Amino acid sequence: MLNIQKTLENGKALFALEGRLDTTTAPELEKELRDSIDGVSALTLDFTDLEYISSAGLRVLLAVQKIMNKQGEMKVSHVNETIMEIFEVTGFSDILSIE
Amino acid sequence: MKILKQRVTFKSISGMVLLLLVFSVIISVIGIRGFTDALLNQYSDNAFHTARVAAAVVDGDRIDEYWESGGETETYRAVWDSLSRLCNSSSATFVYVIEPDLTDYAHIRFLFSTINRNSHYTVYDFGYLRETTNDEYRQKYRALYEGTSTQELVIRNRGYIETDAHITAMIPLKNSGGKVVGIICVQQQLDTLMQARNTYLRRVVIAFISLALLVIAGQSLYLHHALLRPLKLISEEATRFSEENLTTGRKLQEIVRSQDEIGQLAASIDHMEEQIQRNVENLTRVTAEKERIGAELSLATRIQYAMMPQTFPAFPGRSELDIYAIMDPAKEVGGDFYDFFLVDNDHLGLVMADVSGKGVPAALFMMASKIILQSCAMLGQYPAEILTNVNQAICSNNKEEMFVTAWVGILELSTGRLTAANAGHEYPVLMPPGGDFALYKDKHGLVIGAMNDAKYREYELQLEPGTKLFLYTDGVPEATDADNRLFGKERMLTALNTARDKAPQEILRTLRAAVDGFVQDAEQFDDLTMLCLEYRGPKEAGR
Repeated sequence: MLNIQKTLENGKALFALEGRLDTTTAPELEKELRDSIDGVSALTLDFTDLEYISSAGLRVLLAVQKIMNKQGEMKVSHVNETIMEIFEVTGFSDILSIE
Repeated sequence: MKILKQRVTFKSISGMVLLLLVFSVIISVIGIRGFTDALLNQYSDNAFHTARVAAAVVDGDRIDEYWESGGETETYRAVWDSLSRLCNSSSATFVYVIEPDLTDYAHIRFLFSTINRNSHYTVYDFGYLRETTNDEYRQKYRALYEGTSTQELVIRNRGYIETDAHITAMIPLKNSGGKVVGIICVQQQLDTLMQARNTYLRRVVIAFISLALLVIAGQSLYLHHALLRPLKLISEEATRFSEENLTTGRKLQEIVRSQDEIGQLAASIDHMEEQIQRNVENLTRVTAEKERIGAELSLATRIQYAMMPQTFPAFPGRSELDIYAIMDPAKEVGGDFYDFFLVDNDHLGLVMADVSGKGVPAALFMMASKIILQSCAMLGQYPAEILTNVNQAICSNNKEEMFVTAWVGILELSTGRLTAANAGHEYPVLMPPGGDFALYKDKHGLVIGAMNDAKYREYELQLEPGTKLFLYTDGVPEATDADNRLFGKERMLTALNTARDKAPQEILRTLRAAVDGFVQDAEQFDDLTMLCLEYRGPKEAGR
């Protein structure tokens, strides 16, 4: 299960995620993101309530990061310990800007 | 169908028959009323006419003379004969002259009494005294005597089949002084009226029965042809179709040939059959397609398995090591893979990798990654260089944004020196001789396929004889039970340690059993891939 709370304002987008970002839910997030980030210059992904991220979820982050590299900046905020460990193990901590 | 037929026919016919019955009763009542009134008028006119003729025959002034005659005198006989002739020549059955007792009119005395010879009555004798028949007569006698009316009529026809129904017309007999001295009565039988009425009723009943029979026959025939036969055809067709699932060349609509609701029903069923047949054909095609894909997937699975070394013991001639590995994909084909191969006589290449995603796309990506990895290793490159090259090759054509995590190691068998690099993969697990299995937190680089310019660093480890190395993908620590709890690295290490003195194959079997025991009936979401290597030390001379 993944709940996505979307806030769009003046070219800034905030996506608050709740639940699990895995094989089943990743396509949903990818669609939401691709549909909304046109013209967005600052994207923030709030991971406060995200429990888990799988490789499919990482793939979405990578794809979005690549798009945002061209049109602005992307931040990932409030990352919990489990997910932080995943970011470190996969080397994603090197390419994502984590707050 | 039999029951339906009976019910529909019965309901429809009984309704019509009931209607017919009500109609017949109304017709009878109206008819009988109408002609009873008309005939009664006619009869009473006749009777009063006869009475007035009789009044002309009987002389009111000689009433006392008549009474005194005792019925024997010439004068009396002459009057009696005239009355008798009148009675026989008219349609009356009874012409008589009476005098009631004037106190309470309870008795009447007959002065003249004549009957029609065709009737079954007998004449009353002169002076015959009898009780007044009923109150109606009594009141009417009184009315005539007291002059409140000039003519009275009694109708006795209650009970419609009464055979002796009759009317009695009564007029007063007056003397020249205008005094009422007797009553002239003319009785007329109503048998003709009764006969006519009975005949009429009989005809109505016969007409009703014939019409009812006609309705029953006609309606059954109509129902059978317009409703039941087409319904039977439709029902038979529906049964046939449900068994055969094939439309015939002939449409139901053409067989039923009707424009009414039944025809519409037939058309709907025709349409439904066509739709169902189309769906069945579609489903058959889709199923066939699915089976074909399934067959190809299982072929892909076999090819994928064949790509990984699976013959154990893998290196029967090499005493320096023992190695065992298993791969258990979540779907038909997986994105995990392990690999091990001798680069040359003294170097063993080890790979554990996990492609993001599942199924066919992941498996294709895995194939490409595996081949490039092995090719680079076989060229004698070291782990960091291998990963850098593989990353660049993958990134150059990675439109799907997929990536691979990989741990690559090269073990020098003669010295136990392990050179390794990690591209975003899980920490390897090491067990030093006599120690416990523990995570080895190595330096991590970015996953392969993410960034073109990713750099990888390698590290070296000296494996003492008896050291065991365990490699795995995230499917192991992230195996999930029905309550969404993760198996976790702690449970993984505990399971490994329970079998730490065993051979690699036994260690993996123990871990696999622990994962199965934890997950139980929950669906396996991720591939389960693991590899265990035991370094036994360099080959001793002479062995």
